[in-house]
Amino acid sequence: MSSETPDTDATPCAYTDYNEGEAVEELPATGEDATGVEADVWETLYDIEDPEMPVSIVDLGLIYGVEVDDGVARVDMTLTYSGCPARDMLQGQIEEAIEAVDGVDDVELALVWSPAWSIELVTERGKSDLREFGLSI
Amino acid sequence: MAGEIESVDELDADEQEALETLLFSLADDEFVFAERYTEWQVRSPTLESDLALSNNAQDELGHARLWYDVLEDFGHEEHELVYERDPENWRHSTLVEQEFLEGDWADAILRHYLYDVAEEIRLEALEGSSYAKIAGRVEKIQDEERYHREHAESWMERLADGEGLERLQEAVDRLFPHAMTLFEPCAPVPSAEEASDDEPRAAEDVEETVVEAGFRTESLEELREEWVDTVCPYLEGLGLETPAVERVHFDEYEYEVEADVVADERGRDGSHTDAWDDLHAEFTSTYRELGRSQATKIMEKPQ
Repeated sequence: MSSETPDTDATPCAYTDYNEGEAVEELPATGEDATGVEADVWETLYDIEDPEMPVSIVDLGLIYGVEVDDGVARVDMTLTYSGCPARDMLQGQIEEAIEAVDGVDDVELALVWSPAWSIELVTERGKSDLREFGLSI
Repeated sequence: MAGEIESVDELDADEQEALETLLFSLADDEFVFAERYTEWQVRSPTLESDLALSNNAQDELGHARLWYDVLEDFGHEEHELVYERDPENWRHSTLVEQEFLEGDWADAILRHYLYDVAEEIRLEALEGSSYAKIAGRVEKIQDEERYHREHAESWMERLADGEGLERLQEAVDRLFPHAMTLFEPCAPVPSAEEASDDEPRAAEDVEETVVEAGFRTESLEELREEWVDTVCPYLEGLGLETPAVERVHFDEYEYEVEADVVADERGRDGSHTDAWDDLHAEFTSTYRELGRSQATKIMEKPQ
């Protein structure tokens, strides 16, 4: 092909959307049935926003589960991207916030990657927050 | 059954050694390739390709991190694994440590292609891993890798259609023997605490345990055959010569690569090319010069 010939086969970039994932039962976890200290932990997590977008990490679907047992809060979470440059920062922020919850003495924060995060894990409120931010989902 | 092993405590000593060794090979390939990719940042031929390779680098660093995280099950810590480990204890293939010849975009693209086909095949063989943390990470990595091979192939085809073909051929001649080391058995990394009379097992025996214990569901030999049968016809279809010999086997073409094609330095056994010493010295220099004993966080916790 000569450089003067316009490339008529050109197609727009195919990677402008998030891939849709499969819906996973029990996720997104939002803590709506939680009680006591667990409910307080969920409430605290709701106040933490994604580092890039004005959406709660719970509504974004990053939290897979919260359990508080004998003062130890165990939180399973994921990240949207394995190469997230704010991983340590976000985890530090979460640990610190949960430690401050009454009735929590210790935090075990575990990063899990299965099921992999997808747009299906964003709650309706999360979707509305993201739309307001300017994302079309 | 996939993912039935939740903890290293369920494994005997040989199985633990095999699992740890497999993880070193996975993590080190990704980390070292990412280090090389970053050299193309602000130097790629177009802004879009600059972004693409930077993005590949970020993806591979993320994946390296996922595997280094699993190595923490053996008491390792990320900063120790990346910044304090002796260069001879790294287990990546020599493909990913090679220097780029100055401005040789064909080298970057061919390496990207050869590696990403291998990675795709390897990840498929890890989907059903018996170790839960491996099986649980594969889908995430595959999601993020999905367009890597497509990107490499689109550039391969573009380069092969013109004067880039010659450069690609030179890159095939130079890199193919190193790419073959991706499928060499990996020698265990000696641990600091290990008694000196407690010799680590041979790489071949460790590889056998990797498959027997189901950490990977296919052998390196099977992965290599699939890789050779994928990349060789593709490269030849673009007009490139490979070291593979074509044989007809039950009406089907099969590609075979003689054992002596593999580079002398295997990477997986701890032997590396000179390029590795330079690269290792470079990415650990800041850590050493500042006398660090840990990686710092980007911000201190507010009091």
